[in-house]
Amino acid sequence: MEKERKLMNSSLLNEMSRRSFVKLLTAGGAAAMLHGGLLTPKAFAGPAKTAGGCKAFHSACQRNCYDTCAMLSYVDDGVLKYVEGDKQSTFTNGGLCVKGYSYPRRVYSPDRIKYPMKQIGRGTGNWKRISWEEAIDSICDKILSIKKEDGHLLGLALDKNSGSEGITNCAVIQGLFTGLGYTTRFEGSNCWPAGYDAQYFDFGDMVCNDPEDLANAGYIILWGVNPAWTSIHTMKFIYAAKERGAKVVCIDPVLTQTAAKCDEYLAPKMGTDGALALGMARHILDLGLADRGWVADNALGFPEFEQYLREKVTVQWAAEETGIPAETIARIAEEFAKAKPATVWIGYGLQRHTNGGRAVRSIDALVAMTGNVGKKGGGARYGQEFTWDFEYWPKSKMSPPAGSIGFVNPAKQKPGEPTVYSNRSLNRNQAAREMRKADPKIRMLWVSCSNPMSQYPNRNEMEKMYRGLDMLVVVDQFFTQTAELADIVLPTTTQFEEWQVNVSYWHYWLAINEQCIEPLFEAKPNTVISALVSKRMNELSPGSCTYQQDLTPKECMIRNFNDTIHKLNGISSWEDLLKGPVKAKRNPVSWAEGKFKTPSGKYEFLSAKAAEYGHPALPEYHSRRPNHDKFVVLTPHTKFGLHSQFINLDWMRDFNPEPCVYINPNSARSKNIVSGDMVRVYNKFGEVAVKAQVTDNVPEDTLLMYEAWFKNEKFNVQNVLDDAVADMGAYQFGGHRGPAIQEQFANVEKM
Amino acid sequence: MMSKQLAFYVDSQKCIGCFSCAMACKNMYHPEPGVKWRQVYPLSEDIYPHHERAFYSLACNHCEHPTCLECCPVGAYTKREDGIVVHDQDKCIGCGNCVRSCPYGAPQYNPKLKKAEKCSMCWERIDAKLEPACVQACPVKALRIIDLSEFDDAEALHYPPGFPRFESLNPSVRFKLPRHPHVVRRNG
Repeated sequence: MEKERKLMNSSLLNEMSRRSFVKLLTAGGAAAMLHGGLLTPKAFAGPAKTAGGCKAFHSACQRNCYDTCAMLSYVDDGVLKYVEGDKQSTFTNGGLCVKGYSYPRRVYSPDRIKYPMKQIGRGTGNWKRISWEEAIDSICDKILSIKKEDGHLLGLALDKNSGSEGITNCAVIQGLFTGLGYTTRFEGSNCWPAGYDAQYFDFGDMVCNDPEDLANAGYIILWGVNPAWTSIHTMKFIYAAKERGAKVVCIDPVLTQTAAKCDEYLAPKMGTDGALALGMARHILDLGLADRGWVADNALGFPEFEQYLREKVTVQWAAEETGIPAETIARIAEEFAKAKPATVWIGYGLQRHTNGGRAVRSIDALVAMTGNVGKKGGGARYGQEFTWDFEYWPKSKMSPPAGSIGFVNPAKQKPGEPTVYSNRSLNRNQAAREMRKADPKIRMLWVSCSNPMSQYPNRNEMEKMYRGLDMLVVVDQFFTQTAELADIVLPTTTQFEEWQVNVSYWHYWLAINEQCIEPLFEAKPNTVISALVSKRMNELSPGSCTYQQDLTPKECMIRNFNDTIHKLNGISSWEDLLKGPVKAKRNPVSWAEGKFKTPSGKYEFLSAKAAEYGHPALPEYHSRRPNHDKFVVLTPHTKFGLHSQFINLDWMRDFNPEPCVYINPNSARSKNIVSGDMVRVYNKFGEVAVKAQVTDNVPEDTLLMYEAWFKNEKFNVQNVLDDAVADMGAYQFGGHRGPAIQEQFANVEKM
Repeated sequence: MMSKQLAFYVDSQKCIGCFSCAMACKNMYHPEPGVKWRQVYPLSEDIYPHHERAFYSLACNHCEHPTCLECCPVGAYTKREDGIVVHDQDKCIGCGNCVRSCPYGAPQYNPKLKKAEKCSMCWERIDAKLEPACVQACPVKALRIIDLSEFDDAEALHYPPGFPRFESLNPSVRFKLPRHPHVVRRNG
């Protein structure tokens, strides 16, 4: 590695620096800014890996992504020249993805928010540059006036989401808000709550086998997951299993890129995954292929599950429900049960349904009854969080100012006892609905690492609610559709401009992210922004904010390490990571010891905890909600973006020029639509104008648009999505159920 | 014995069309927006039945008989001993002959510099014993560098469906075709 870097520095980079950065500046319009001195590289005293030429720094991708890549960033004269994957991570293995490789453009994009800006007239685009002092003053004045007028700060809300998964970004803004008092928080997760709860009911925790262990599988079902687009670094382990003779099956309503790379692809009807899993389970019972030894030793409630299957489930029923022929269900079930070990990767798509949690429980049951839990190359893989045991400093260590008034939870407040105040927690999956009914009203909203206008359903209603705020503050790197509605935007740094540390919710690696360039323009890390707010609050009203006023991003990162993290990863200090990423020292096989964290200590086919939360104790099937319009609308991830990030960049647009809606040839014919036509996708909530592409990758009853934010385009899939919620999520997400965003409906017509 | 000729090997059976190779190239060379040295082309449905699900990742083919080199009036192109066709932008006068004459569209016109440019197979990296940026980027080893003087795979294709056949140029690229999954569509 070290040798490689030296070679790079001696030859190529001198050549590179001469030609490419000059071009970059010209291309990005950044040359003009050089005159203002804003981009003038300052000396950065980071721990350089090499002397002379380009210096290599350890970076970590901050995006909300399975792969969370360990990166190397090459910097010359204070300027980021290029990035690559770190070969020290056997998961990342030297390569990034189409998004990761666009980082040099993201950092120096002419579209970065450069200064604090104030919008005169929300949504008018009439922006005026202001100083940091003016911005922070306006914000603090507003917070103090809310506190004075209302007597509390529940009118102040925070929406901090997954836009940056750096550990300090998971702790800093929440810390600032706790430091201000009891406030309103948009919480819950837009991502995985239903399946997360399901795994907690079944296993008592969510822990997946090491994805690198997929190579050991004898049979792999990729169920509602599209790693060829959303976890490209896992594909090599799937290919390795294939090369060793494993069969790989993809189950998805859409013929995805992953489906095209599998041996077999099944296309069930949307929202029927639970029926397919139960039909397979019934057939396995009938063939006598259930692993009765494993179940007897390790599980609770298998007899009840067996009885349910025998009484309520047949393969023929599953065939009718899913549309998959009975003989196919039977064949796949038999193959799965006979292959040892067999595994399922349960995607997040299939649980974003009104019956999604139950579907995940059904798939868990299929894996468990075949004795594939706790096995090398086996497992019901969904995700893990055991690598995430950081301090979450400062949020976890802070209290509101003394005497703060907050939300009183009637369910928890006991009569005669002192009033217990807390934050008010609202479900972000129903943000507009929650805002409308909020009493006391939300007057001011701070949005950080989040782009709700592109990511939250019922967008038209969301916009109405945002327009009704007294003040909207958005911290971002780009003028997103959310920033367009802001009164004040604050520019924040990319990972190259600050210290971070990162782990994945999929693989077992831990990587540090060194600051490798100075912040661009006037961008500041969230740590610094929070400190500025705290300082000004205390100047205006002493004691009004308990957030530490002099916390640096690096210090904050360091304080997030603890003994648990050190021990798990075999390091003695965070500084060990400056040598490269490390992998958790843990058995790559989850549940290998058969000690489950459920109340019974067993794998629970029959879960009293599930019943306590209003679900059947068994993974029983429940049909999805009925259509409220002619077509099913799917809005999954594109390979060219991470939610609304990256798609706006001109480099990305060279490969992904415009949005489209995919429609099946038969439906297109009936609607007189051909590829290239502008169409209107519409329903009672709103509409999207977009170009059509005709393909039988999508079934006849389905329209598909990739969620995205394109610069200068109104395109937004949220216009037609409603805020239906999944069955599960309330158990582990503070009462907030997950979204049912893959169970949506609309019609289409030619424009 | 044939002299050394480095070439791209494009394994469409493994390729997942992720565009990492194409963006890795931009990451390394920062071409103007709109200029692409490498592009990932989806195969038309008469070649592969599933829309946008199989690809050829293509850049300069570093031909045995490069037309760019032959038509350049100022000798901006040279062919190295290892077969890599190198364009020297300092010599280029931006006449556009190469851009117009290459049937594979490899040389690109840079509207800012008013000069041509193209894939260099990262010869500086190859000389430093590193993989080209695109090859290092591929998460599934679907894009590789081979030496045609040693390459011995009878199943590799030179002119697969959809890739234009220009035998007089002898493009230095070999292919493997994508496979089809067994597809079980649903009833109803």
